[in-house]
Amino acid sequence: MIERKNRENKNSLPCSGGLWSEGWARFRKRHLAVAGAVIVLLLYLVAIFAPVLTPYDPVAHGDIPGDRYLRPSIEHPFGTDKFGRDVMTRMFYGSQVSLSIGFLAVALSIFLGSLVGAVSGYAGGIVDAVIMRVVDALMAIPRLFLLLTCIALFSRSILLIIILLGATGWMSAARLVRGQVLSIKKKDYIVAAEGLGVSGKGIIFKHLIPNTLTVIIVSATLRIGGIILTEAALSFLGLGVPPPTPSWGMMVFQGRDVLLNAWWVSTFPGLAIVMTVIGFNLLGDGLRDAFDPMHFT
Amino acid sequence: MLLKVNNLETIFRMARGEVRAVDRISFNIKSGKTLGLVGESGCGKSVTALSIMRLVPDPPGKIAGGSIELEGNDILKLPEKEMRKIRGNEISIVFQEPLSSLNPVFSCGEQVREAIVLHQHLGRKDSKTEAIEMLRRVRIPDPETRYKNYPHQMSGGMRQRVMIAMALSCQPKLLIADEPTTALDVSVQAQIIELLQDLREELGMSILLITHDLAVIAQMADTVVVMYAGKIVEKAPAGKLFSDPSHPYTQGLLASMPGYSIPGKSLPVIPGSVPDPVKLPPGCRFSDRCGKRIEKCFNEEPPLFNLGDSHFSRCWLHNKEEN
Repeated sequence: MIERKNRENKNSLPCSGGLWSEGWARFRKRHLAVAGAVIVLLLYLVAIFAPVLTPYDPVAHGDIPGDRYLRPSIEHPFGTDKFGRDVMTRMFYGSQVSLSIGFLAVALSIFLGSLVGAVSGYAGGIVDAVIMRVVDALMAIPRLFLLLTCIALFSRSILLIIILLGATGWMSAARLVRGQVLSIKKKDYIVAAEGLGVSGKGIIFKHLIPNTLTVIIVSATLRIGGIILTEAALSFLGLGVPPPTPSWGMMVFQGRDVLLNAWWVSTFPGLAIVMTVIGFNLLGDGLRDAFDPMHFT
Repeated sequence: MLLKVNNLETIFRMARGEVRAVDRISFNIKSGKTLGLVGESGCGKSVTALSIMRLVPDPPGKIAGGSIELEGNDILKLPEKEMRKIRGNEISIVFQEPLSSLNPVFSCGEQVREAIVLHQHLGRKDSKTEAIEMLRRVRIPDPETRYKNYPHQMSGGMRQRVMIAMALSCQPKLLIADEPTTALDVSVQAQIIELLQDLREELGMSILLITHDLAVIAQMADTVVVMYAGKIVEKAPAGKLFSDPSHPYTQGLLASMPGYSIPGKSLPVIPGSVPDPVKLPPGCRFSDRCGKRIEKCFNEEPPLFNLGDSHFSRCWLHNKEEN
C-alpha cells in the first residue's frame, strides 16, 4: 500500500519535464488544436514543396482555347482558369505569397507592438499616457483606406504590402501587451527582480516580455488569419500582389465573373483562405490553453 | 555600524489625504547582527524595508525625509544607477510570498544565475556552476536536477530557498527578510529560520528581519524594534524585550502569544484596532487601545524615553520628570 502510494506520488510530481514538454503534453490532448496544427503544417509544406507537388507552371499561359476553364479532372484536380492555368498549381504557389505575407507582417507588427506596449506599460505615468494617446489616434485611421492610398501612391510590391500590413497592425498588439505588462509589473517577482538590481531594460526584456510571450504567440497566431484575409481583400480589389504572381485573393477575384459557369476558379482558393484562417485560429487557441503559465501556477 | 537609519519618513499621497506610513524612525544595524522589526499589519514594517531598498512605488509613495547610511554613505542621495549596483549586491531582500516572487517562465536555476550575472562578471558555464553551488548552500537536495525546475514544480519552502539563494548570490552585507516565513507552514518555517541563521554565520552578513511573529524574533534577533502606526514604540536588546517589556503595546503583544499565557484560559487580546492612518489621534497613537493610559496620553505625543542599557520606550509612564 505504502509502496503504491509512493509510486502515485512520483507520478503526480511534475518534476520530470520542463515547460515545453509539459505544454506539449497538454496540447496533444486537444484534438481541435492538433487539427489546426496539422492544417498549418500542411500549408507550409505545400508552400515549400509547391514545385515538387505539381508539374505545371503557375504563371505561363496554357493553350488558350483548348485549356480554358476546364472542369476539375484527373489532370487538373481543381480545373483551369481563364488563361488555361492549373488552379491547383496556382493555389500551391499562392500559398507561398499568402503565408509569407501573413507571417512577416504579423512578425513585424508584433515586434513593434510588444516593444511599444512594454515600454509604455512599464514606464507608466506621462510617458504611458502620451504613447497610448498616439496609439489611439493611429487606430482611428481606417486601415484599409490607408493601405489603398499607399498602394495607389507607390508601386505594388509584396515587400510594400508586408511593411504596410505590419506598420498598420501594431497598435492593437501594443495595447494588448501594455495591458499585460500593467498587471505583470505589480507582481512580486518584478519587485524581487528590481530588488536584485535588474535595470529597467532588463526588466522589460527578461521579465515582462517573456511573461507576455504566450499572449503574444496566441494573438500572433490568431492575427495571421486576419492578415491573410486583408491581403486577400486587397488582391480582390486589384491592389494586392501584382499579377501574374498568384495570390488567393486575386484568384477569387478573377473567378468572380464566371462563378456560375466555372465555379472552381473562385471556390477552391476561397476554401483555402477559409481553411487557413480556421487552421491558425485553432492552433492559436490550442497554444493558449497549453502554454499560458497563468493557467497552472 | 553597517546600516544607520535616521529619522526616515515615507509618505503615501492618497486621495483621502497624506499617509505617513513610516514616521521618523531611527535604528542601527551592526554588522553580523540581526535586527527584528515587529508590529501588526499596516504598521509600516514593509514600507521601511522597501524604503531601504528605495523600491517604494512612486507615485503614490515617496521618501520624504531622513537618511539611510550604508557604511557611512547616504543611499537616499545616490542616483538610481548607483542604487541598482547596491541592490542585490550590498543589500538584498527576500519577500513574504515565495509563491509569487519567482518568475513563472524561467527555471529556478536560471533565476539564481541571472542574479549572479547581474553583479559578477562570469561566463555562462561558471555562473551556472555558481548557481548550483548557491542552491546547494540553501540546502536544496539534488541541486543539479532542481536547477532545471520551474517555480510551479516546487513547494513553497523550496521556492523560499530559491529566493534566499537569489538574494544571497552576491554575498550581500545586509539581507532584508520581509516576513520570510509567513506564507509557509510551521515545520517549514523552522527550517527556513534555521537556514537563515546558519547562512548569517557562514557569510557574516547582517539581517533585518521583519515579522509579526514574536516566536521568530525570539529565535533570531539580537535587537528588536517594535513599530505601531508608523512609529517606533519600543527598541531593546532581544533578551531585555522579552524579559522586561516596557511599552503597553509590547506587553500586550507578548501576552497574546500562546506560550506566554496560562493554558486553558482564552488568550488575552489587545482591544480595538490600528487607528486610521489619515486620522491619527493627536496624542499617543496607542492611547485609544491602551489599558494604562493617563490623561496626558490623549493630548501630547510621548517622546522615545531612554530607559538605559539601549532600551527605549515611547510611553508617558516612563516620564521620570513627573513621576
